[in-house]
Amino acid sequence: MAVGTSTADGGIPAYAAQMKYSTGIARVIHSPAYRYTLGAVAEWRYGRILLLAGVPVVWMLMMHIGPIYEMLRISLLSSYPPEPGVEANFTLDNYALFFSEKLYWMPLLRSFVYASIATAVTLIVVYPVAYYVAKVVSPGGRSRALLLLLAPFWAGEIIRIFSVIMLLANRGAVNVLLREIGLTDRPIQMLYTSFSISFGLVYMVCLYMLLPLYSAIEKIPKSLLDASADLGAGPFTRFRRIVLPLSRDGIVSGCSLVFLTCMGVFAAPILLGGPTTSMFSETISSFFHGASSRWPAGAAFAMIMLAASLVTVGLFMRVVGGSKQRTF
Amino acid sequence: MEPVVQFENVRKSFGSFVAVDNLNLNIERGKFVTLLGPSGCGKSTTLRMLGGFETPTSGRILLSGRDVTQVPPNRRNVNIVFQEYALFPHMTVAKNIAFGLELKGVDNRQIQKRVSELLELVQLQEFASRLPSELSGGQRQRVALMRALAPDPDVLLLDEPLSALDAKLRQTMQVELKAIQEQTGKTFMFVTHDQEEALTMSDTIVVMNNGRIEQMGDPATLYNRPGSAFVATFLGETNLLRSDVVGTEAGEAAVRWNGVTIKTSAGALSPKPGDAIYVVLRPEAIQCSAHEPSVANRVQGRIRQRVFKGNHTSLKVEIGDGHLLNALVHPSEVEGLSRDDIWVGWPSEATTLIPSRNAAS
Amino acid sequence: MRAVFLDWPGLALKSFYWLFVLYLFLPLSLMVAVSFKDASFISFPLGNLTIDWYAKVIQDKQFLDACLYTIMIAAATTAIATVIGVWIAMLIGSLRGAAQYVAFAVACLPAVVPGMISAISLRIFITTIDLPTGTAAIILGHVVHAVPFVVVMVLTRLRSMPGNLVDAARDLGADSIVTFFRVTLPYLGPAIFGGMIFCLLLSSDDFVRTFFLGGYRPTLPMLIFARVQSGMSPEINVMATLVLVVTAVVGLYAEYLTRRSRIR
Repeated sequence: MAVGTSTADGGIPAYAAQMKYSTGIARVIHSPAYRYTLGAVAEWRYGRILLLAGVPVVWMLMMHIGPIYEMLRISLLSSYPPEPGVEANFTLDNYALFFSEKLYWMPLLRSFVYASIATAVTLIVVYPVAYYVAKVVSPGGRSRALLLLLAPFWAGEIIRIFSVIMLLANRGAVNVLLREIGLTDRPIQMLYTSFSISFGLVYMVCLYMLLPLYSAIEKIPKSLLDASADLGAGPFTRFRRIVLPLSRDGIVSGCSLVFLTCMGVFAAPILLGGPTTSMFSETISSFFHGASSRWPAGAAFAMIMLAASLVTVGLFMRVVGGSKQRTF
Repeated sequence: MEPVVQFENVRKSFGSFVAVDNLNLNIERGKFVTLLGPSGCGKSTTLRMLGGFETPTSGRILLSGRDVTQVPPNRRNVNIVFQEYALFPHMTVAKNIAFGLELKGVDNRQIQKRVSELLELVQLQEFASRLPSELSGGQRQRVALMRALAPDPDVLLLDEPLSALDAKLRQTMQVELKAIQEQTGKTFMFVTHDQEEALTMSDTIVVMNNGRIEQMGDPATLYNRPGSAFVATFLGETNLLRSDVVGTEAGEAAVRWNGVTIKTSAGALSPKPGDAIYVVLRPEAIQCSAHEPSVANRVQGRIRQRVFKGNHTSLKVEIGDGHLLNALVHPSEVEGLSRDDIWVGWPSEATTLIPSRNAAS
Repeated sequence: MRAVFLDWPGLALKSFYWLFVLYLFLPLSLMVAVSFKDASFISFPLGNLTIDWYAKVIQDKQFLDACLYTIMIAAATTAIATVIGVWIAMLIGSLRGAAQYVAFAVACLPAVVPGMISAISLRIFITTIDLPTGTAAIILGHVVHAVPFVVVMVLTRLRSMPGNLVDAARDLGADSIVTFFRVTLPYLGPAIFGGMIFCLLLSSDDFVRTFFLGGYRPTLPMLIFARVQSGMSPEINVMATLVLVVTAVVGLYAEYLTRRSRIR
């Protein structure tokens, strides 16, 4: 802030003479260059709508809906890329391919099972933690307690998967510890099994469960718990009758997020899994490695995965969520 | 002199709901005008139309003679003191006040001068570099007022600005607002649902109901000579007595209420015998005594309830079978009165007649 | 929830919380520890310690290049995603009823679609619009992914903004553009800042989109992924540790700043 002359001249007291005001804005908005261009648009009703809605609408249609639409379109083509002279027909063959071989549908089933298990485990493990931070920790310490849980997630997907290898490898920490204690003499194969995948998935996604649960539980007024305790409810009854129903929104969105993320993981099964644990993401990806002629099948598989995950989540929301009213 | 604000046949509807219906209103320069009415009566819509935030469905609004019906808010020379102040939380007090001046293209020195003048007016000089969050409710209120005054508007609009303050502070601010209005000579258009605020500050009160003007006038006229039952009950406490006219004579009328004959001045009305009519009788016009008073109207009754309120006592007096009159009397007046046998009385000028078709509410 | 059966449910919950914290930090700590291991293979116990791997990594041209590339992409992603995210939030904030619901759902779509599908659909899409794989495609993919998070954060703040602030600015002579830049944008400041940090972290951590949209130049997660697949050595631990430290510092600093602004 520029300090002006501190003498009170022109009747301006010293404190006021030190203030600096943005007079530049007026010069801009009163200049013809602004008035006849942006200014005119801003004054014009439809101009304002255009300014507000133009970029967002175009962006959302093109970038949010466009790719999914394009994937759907290509999944229905008999040949891709389009060749001159050859007209691509619409066909459902690419979808039929999925059901024709166990090699194709088995991985989806596997993805589905892993995602469900990871979701259930994450919910059970994270719920007490979220409850502790939201209701037991004093309000002042809450953000610190939460921060401690958030911090490991800044590291990112690949690094976190890599760190799981440190723990579970044949010469990793767990095996070495077990041997030192004398429980085993030969390392237990943990890496590249379904155990390491499940473990890695839970480790990767528990944040997505924590945040929705935390914000739902935090919103439950303490007075409700006190009131129910006053009416004679023990800790378990309080939890079952008050906390659990009132945190249902958080459970629904947490589980949905975790499930969707697990369905879409790509790196974790590659790094942590073995040949018998290949997931659907890898199946899809194999269609996109070579030439683009196999893309329609890959697109169809991706659509199947998208539909399967969204339908599952939708059903889950219906069943557990009860009322359709969701706030955002 | 030309009115500073003119509403000409202004109508505003939202879908099928008519918020303001055929409003005609002229506001004189330099006056403190209050739009008074219950919520949903159209007063806020009227203010927002003048501010430019709503466009009338039909009709014209003139500001200093210029048709501003279609002019956007940023191009009108009116400023609003908003409910809950609406101070910009990221700007200091001085920056808030200067906001309108900056946009007008006033140069730095002039802004400094004007801001310091305004801060002095409300004695907030030391708070110039504070953020709104560091001020008390009353201080925020003053800053909001100064911010709206800074660009020197033709009319200053105040949208229930005192509703967020506690009762005591509200009274202080009423006095201060009126003083600032007189000092600056600005036209103030004040919107409120609080009749006490309206009576305390206004030169003119416009009582609105259901999107229409019920009555307009200076506070004393509105209070003493309400034109409708709505105005009578909305402004202050009142006894509204449903009566039948039994006789008229030279500007006076005799009406019958609950078996009692009441003499009233007919005022502007010319009631005919047999008409149903309302008599407005203010509680403070009623006298109580142990013996028959020598006023035009007097009747015997029983005290049903007596509440001591410090500088006055509030009474509910039962007349006949079950009809109650509210009375406000000086505490000394009711000392030693027996509860079951008292006289109440009032002069005939203390009452106002209201035709009963207006008295539906 | 056997915790609540105990005499002191609070104490049980507290120990459970700390166990969970341990679970979160243990693998990462092991990873950091191995980065100091004086051997060319990953195993426990650690044995002798050294910082030679660090010396090696910070001279590794490929690593440094990947760092630079990651930062560049993250910066571009953040800049674009913030502008678009705020813009979309402003639009959604001004809509009412069903239109608002639909717009919000569409805006959040890329965050809900599983990462793999998002990556595949973008891979197909850039071919349709004739964009080659590489830097531009990666940035586009990251922006699409980041925008919903900015929208949600900004919208949350926007909803807490008193509606009459905008009216007040208009009333004092600002047109809608000036009002946006002088009143709305400063008000949204903390949320935008939070959104930007989130964008930085999202972009620099992203693997699956980069994998499908990228060219030959790897970002950090790509580089680490490739090294893990081609044979492990403490070198990877060093890279991961360095990334971990930098993201932790950025995250903590952002947290500190937002908390300070919340107190003000």
